[in-house]
Amino acid sequence: MTLVRIPDDALAVACGADRVARRFEELGATVERVSSWGMHWLEPLVEIDGIGFGPVGVADVEGVLAGGSDLSVGRIEDHPFIASQTRLTFARAGKTRPLSLQDYAATGGWKGLERARAMTAEAITAEVTASGLRGRGGAGFPAGIKWETVRTANGVRKYIVCNADEGDSGTFADRMLMEGDPFVLIEGMAIAGLAVGAAKGFVYIRSEYPHAVRKMEAAVRLAAPLVAPFEIEVRVGAGAYVCGEETSLLNSLEGKRGEVRAKPPLPAHEGLFGCPTVINNVLTLAAIPYILAEGAQAYADYGMGRSRGTMPVQLAGNIRFGGLYETAFGATLGELIGIGGGSASGRPVKAVQVGGPLGAYFPPSLFDTPFDYEAFTARDGLIGHGGVVVFDDSVDMAAQARFAFEFCAAESCGKCTPCRIGAVRGRETIERVIAGDPDGLALVADLCETMKFGSLCALGAFTPYPVMSAITHFPADFVVEERV
Amino acid sequence: MSGTHDHLVYMANQIAANLAMEADAVKATADHIEAFWDPRMVAAVLSDGAGLSPVAAAAFEVLRGAEV
Amino acid sequence: MTYQPQSDLGTPAGTGEPVTLTIDGRAVTVPAGTSVMRAAAEIGTAIPKLCATDNMKAFGSCRLCLVEVEGRRGTPASCTTPAEAGMVVHTQTPQLQKLRKGVMELYISDHPLDCLTCAANGDCELQDQAGAVGLRDVRYAAGDNHLGQAKDLSNPYFDFDPSKCIVCSRCVRACDEVQGTFALTIDGMGFGSKVSAGTAADDFLSSECVSCGACVQACPTATLQERAVVEIGTPERSVVTTCAYCGVGCTFRAEMRGEQLVRMVPWKDGKANRGHSCVKGRFAWGYANHQERILNPMIRASIDQPWREVSWDEAFAHAASEIRRIQAKYGKDSVGGITSSRCTNEETFLVQKLVRAGFQNNNVDTCARVCHSPTGYGLKTTFGTSAGTQDFDSVEQCDVMLVIGANPTDGHPVFASRMKRRLRQGAKLIVVDPRRIDMVRTPHIEAEHHLPLRPGTNVAVLTAMAHVIVTEGLADEAFVRERCDWDEYRHWADFVANPRNAPEALQPVTTVDPAELRAAARLYATGGNAAIYYGLGVTEHSQGSSTVMAIANLAMATGNIGRPGVGVNPLRGQNNVQGACDMGSFPHELSGYRHISDAATRKLFEADWGVALDPEPGLRIPNMLDAACDGSFKALYVQGEDILQSDPNTRHVSAGLAAMECVIVHDLFLNETANYAHIFLPGSTFLEKNGTFTNAERRIQPVRKVMTPINGLEDWEVTQGLANALGLGWNYRHPSEIMDEIARLTPTFAGVSFDRLDELGSIQWPSTAAAPEGTPVMHIDGFVRGKGKFVVTDYIPTDERTGPRFPLLLTTGRILSQYNVGAQTRRTANVVWHEEDLLEIHPVDAEDRGLKTGDWVRLASRSGETTLRATVTDRVAPGVVYTTFHHPATQANVVTTDYSDWATNCPEYKVTAVQVAASNGPSDWQEDYEALSERSRRIEAAE
Repeated sequence: MTLVRIPDDALAVACGADRVARRFEELGATVERVSSWGMHWLEPLVEIDGIGFGPVGVADVEGVLAGGSDLSVGRIEDHPFIASQTRLTFARAGKTRPLSLQDYAATGGWKGLERARAMTAEAITAEVTASGLRGRGGAGFPAGIKWETVRTANGVRKYIVCNADEGDSGTFADRMLMEGDPFVLIEGMAIAGLAVGAAKGFVYIRSEYPHAVRKMEAAVRLAAPLVAPFEIEVRVGAGAYVCGEETSLLNSLEGKRGEVRAKPPLPAHEGLFGCPTVINNVLTLAAIPYILAEGAQAYADYGMGRSRGTMPVQLAGNIRFGGLYETAFGATLGELIGIGGGSASGRPVKAVQVGGPLGAYFPPSLFDTPFDYEAFTARDGLIGHGGVVVFDDSVDMAAQARFAFEFCAAESCGKCTPCRIGAVRGRETIERVIAGDPDGLALVADLCETMKFGSLCALGAFTPYPVMSAITHFPADFVVEERV
Repeated sequence: MSGTHDHLVYMANQIAANLAMEADAVKATADHIEAFWDPRMVAAVLSDGAGLSPVAAAAFEVLRGAEV
Repeated sequence: MTYQPQSDLGTPAGTGEPVTLTIDGRAVTVPAGTSVMRAAAEIGTAIPKLCATDNMKAFGSCRLCLVEVEGRRGTPASCTTPAEAGMVVHTQTPQLQKLRKGVMELYISDHPLDCLTCAANGDCELQDQAGAVGLRDVRYAAGDNHLGQAKDLSNPYFDFDPSKCIVCSRCVRACDEVQGTFALTIDGMGFGSKVSAGTAADDFLSSECVSCGACVQACPTATLQERAVVEIGTPERSVVTTCAYCGVGCTFRAEMRGEQLVRMVPWKDGKANRGHSCVKGRFAWGYANHQERILNPMIRASIDQPWREVSWDEAFAHAASEIRRIQAKYGKDSVGGITSSRCTNEETFLVQKLVRAGFQNNNVDTCARVCHSPTGYGLKTTFGTSAGTQDFDSVEQCDVMLVIGANPTDGHPVFASRMKRRLRQGAKLIVVDPRRIDMVRTPHIEAEHHLPLRPGTNVAVLTAMAHVIVTEGLADEAFVRERCDWDEYRHWADFVANPRNAPEALQPVTTVDPAELRAAARLYATGGNAAIYYGLGVTEHSQGSSTVMAIANLAMATGNIGRPGVGVNPLRGQNNVQGACDMGSFPHELSGYRHISDAATRKLFEADWGVALDPEPGLRIPNMLDAACDGSFKALYVQGEDILQSDPNTRHVSAGLAAMECVIVHDLFLNETANYAHIFLPGSTFLEKNGTFTNAERRIQPVRKVMTPINGLEDWEVTQGLANALGLGWNYRHPSEIMDEIARLTPTFAGVSFDRLDELGSIQWPSTAAAPEGTPVMHIDGFVRGKGKFVVTDYIPTDERTGPRFPLLLTTGRILSQYNVGAQTRRTANVVWHEEDLLEIHPVDAEDRGLKTGDWVRLASRSGETTLRATVTDRVAPGVVYTTFHHPATQANVVTTDYSDWATNCPEYKVTAVQVAASNGPSDWQEDYEALSERSRRIEAAE
């Protein structure tokens, strides 16, 4: 009997994976639902004996089983998109059944936790610090230092909070990880608990990820005896982008309005319910088991400069080969676009927005920028959560600048003035510019300065990145005469 | 006997009952009444002690002695 | 004082070790934890700000207070940045100026430009800050805005105009952090964020808002504005004075325009309230100018005649001649006086002096008789001082609060807010109360233990708690050995340890779950600093004094006395209950709680006053009424108390009053007692006089005259007029001279004078040579009486029992918006919250009687009956009903009995056996009384 492996990831399901799986079963095949490899243009990607077929429709199933399909992509592991990656965090992607404790253990699962259990808390945080792991949510703060702060903070009770409110446009790594390898996140959180002395963790998942919520809840139940006495609870957000900001997320978890808190106090000192709290992104926590299992150095050996290890880059937007591309820091933006095969439309690439809706737009002249926190900062950009969104030459950058303000206005928590009022005034003023008032640009520049230096959190402070990068790199789009 | 007189006797008995656990309940009751009662109230009960509890009655005997 | 806003340093003070930093080149040293903003303010550098205010935690939302710190990236907000040693801060740089201007430009782009016609013009922080940052121009074109939104005018005292809101959240934070009601929220997000009271369907009045005014005070614009300011204009001068409502004693700034009071604003330097207020003190002062105030003295020969207005001189002469006539006819002991806990210390002192020196007897009592007289007796007996042991600040160091027989959120709302803040910080709460008072469960607070005891069983519950503490070895014997009489302790411990006092054995009496009671006792004994707060639910019982002593026993046995965070804290009902008691208002003692039989004390007063004093105690209020019914008591001078409405068994009170030949009522209004009066002397409000009040924490605070008495005389002048008509020859020119006399004659007040009060703000007695600035916490090194005394408090059930005719127990209390007999609050807009007394009844009892909420019911006891409307609620236990006594139309005291505390005759208001039945109208008593009232209040037309 033929064993067919088909992803049950939300993206594959959206492409028809469930129907394809049913068809294979009808035709007598044994189907195993596994995680996604992350090659989105091939979903549903079906694997038989290591050979991939994709994208497979219901009508293709018979042909695939008969061996006569032209959908074969050969051995998946040898596919250039996969073979060129360095998968540490996503090592199991495509290979294991997400909720199989057996698969997880058989692929090195729990090794990190086992080792951590034999270590002192101090040694664990030292190991994480030595790995050079930085927060993958966007800010890039060294994880080990954050953990050490919480470890040494006074508090009877401490918490681990996993930020799974993945709201950036063009990002999906958190979702893929939670749907595809939930135990690695659980293991990472349990290690964090040991490291800082926390007995309880929360995973805060955005409500737009129902599949991830179900997988995580199931995984938490299955793994409970293995991570005990550490306990994990899954909490679902209510649709606010700003709740991905750590302090709003904590307020939301506490049942309060998702409003940003001023820092200090840092969450590491006074976080959830006023207790010292580690709050890390999914990818940060999911990188931990590897670091503990293989040692800090093994992780730190990857990367460049102060950006160590790997980054799961997410290629999206107008791109031919979109998907999850985990690679050591240092690959240039141009290389990543090359791997993605250029624009899906076939037209020239005009701009790339990196780091979500608050990231800067990069023109082709800056495609030599290496994927590295400091290199991006030096060019007035940010790598954020690693989302890369490609635009072809049909994009209107003035409209994109307007959208940046509109997005900020829609998602602002409303607490601080620069963001609450500034975003609306910014949209209105860009509209003035688009309508032909060139004086508006100076006001936009002033406003961007007010927002960048005056805002309470990154939402207001980073909105100037897409706006000013659009104005700086694509000035022609803001000149009305040429547009008419 | 007027309602007021009944009330005074009631008050005296109440004081005696609440001071029953004192080492010398009679003295404690007498002291309390001496400290807080207007003389005409004391006189009214001294003139007619009907209805007083044994401790209260004994306390008024102490007060009668003190008056002389 | 010319009008100036109260100073605002932006954020609360830090409490850590001193750190020195440099701000704009100037070194400043502040406690660690102080914000850069406050550190700058300390040296006079006002960093622009809008969302920061120093009675709330820093919030960091307005982004005007940005600063630069050398060696740090960006421009942090100075309100949320803690001062650190060695920090070098710049508050004014070109970049900061530009940023602040940019932020202000955004604010003003969404703000109506109607400053000239705005109620806050000249008193608006937004206006001030726009000037401070130098904004001269708004470059944004007209766009989305919040202008022209409908105002919420539902609250009778303040307006909410959302068009002017800058969404700084100060109101929301004030409601959360200062008041602790959590009624306000920011609704929506982003540009749509708006302040909202309750849910979208609510307005301020229908929301949970308790109208404390904290939000209005916090608002930096005209968004939340006192209606009086809208109508009158901004104030031009202010006077700091003390509130005349409850025993918390909030300090207010009376903000005036000419002789017109514009608003009362809580004073941040007030040590009792720390800048907070409640709906009564903040807003309910309209009675001061109410049309029903009587402004001229009046007399009449009998109570069925109409009143006749007379001059002050005629009134005094008539009163004096009546008193002398009656004394000549019935003996000198046939007259007496009642001092008021509503009046100042000085006025109270004069009234008792009038009785002792002028009437030549000791027939003086005070309304404290009916509230906290057991506190005086119980704490004097056990500790040696008739007063609470702590200051209010002490609550901030408390770990466990035991609240018994008190309903702080209604009765003492401002202190309740401080309690709630401490509870939100993690202190634990035990509530002993028949009703589920709000503090049992309120936003972010839930009592660890609520012991819903049967009314009248306080002593049994406290003894059972003591049983647990002693038998489980939780007593602090080291403390007891050092500080108390060990033999008395052993005697007491043996008593409470008796198995008959176990919680299980007493359950049939108390109805309290023994496991819950044991847990509560353990928490009280072992939970850290434990403080007991109690009210009239303790004192107004046949064993009120025993309960106070049982409380004292508990505190001593666990070592919870003599340091901050612990103690025994009576929550005094009226503004000056403590003071009225201190001033020698009780018939058996002179000021400072010295017995009238003490020859040395009497000699001191006799020398000062030049008269001989009667060494025997006089009559208490209930004894006066008894004596009146018996014919031996004929005249009474009542200052500022409405005994007919407030004292128990109204029919007995009315019979006593009716039997007198001369009743002199000295009050603001023709109150219920005045229906039986022959002479009416118009009183003055607390706004119209100088003097002092002493609050529940023994804090003597100045009352300052903010306007001329519209009746012509301050109350002390009225008493002096009466005294001089009696030939006493008093010559006080100012209340400060009365206080000097009090200080001269009262050792615990030795250090008190008006000058010292002006200097220190307030003084907690004792103020002696050893403690010239007063005594915040008492009994620190030892008890005032020497060794603390344990008193055995055997539970003796009240004789007021339920039976087939009267199967339910009535207990009474009060509500936030109304005050006692309501003489003042009923004459304000506070009636929108409570316009009638309601009877709370449990659903089971209501079902049995076929009653539903809103039904008229007849409430009957052995004493009498009345009618009122019912509200069905499980806040009361089955078998218990509850009502308030704010409205004369209800006259709840027609129902209460004349059972009273064994030691002090404090009435047993809290336990009356009653029956409740459906009714279709007022009782006979209510109808008769209404007719009498109408007849008695007639005033003859002026000739």
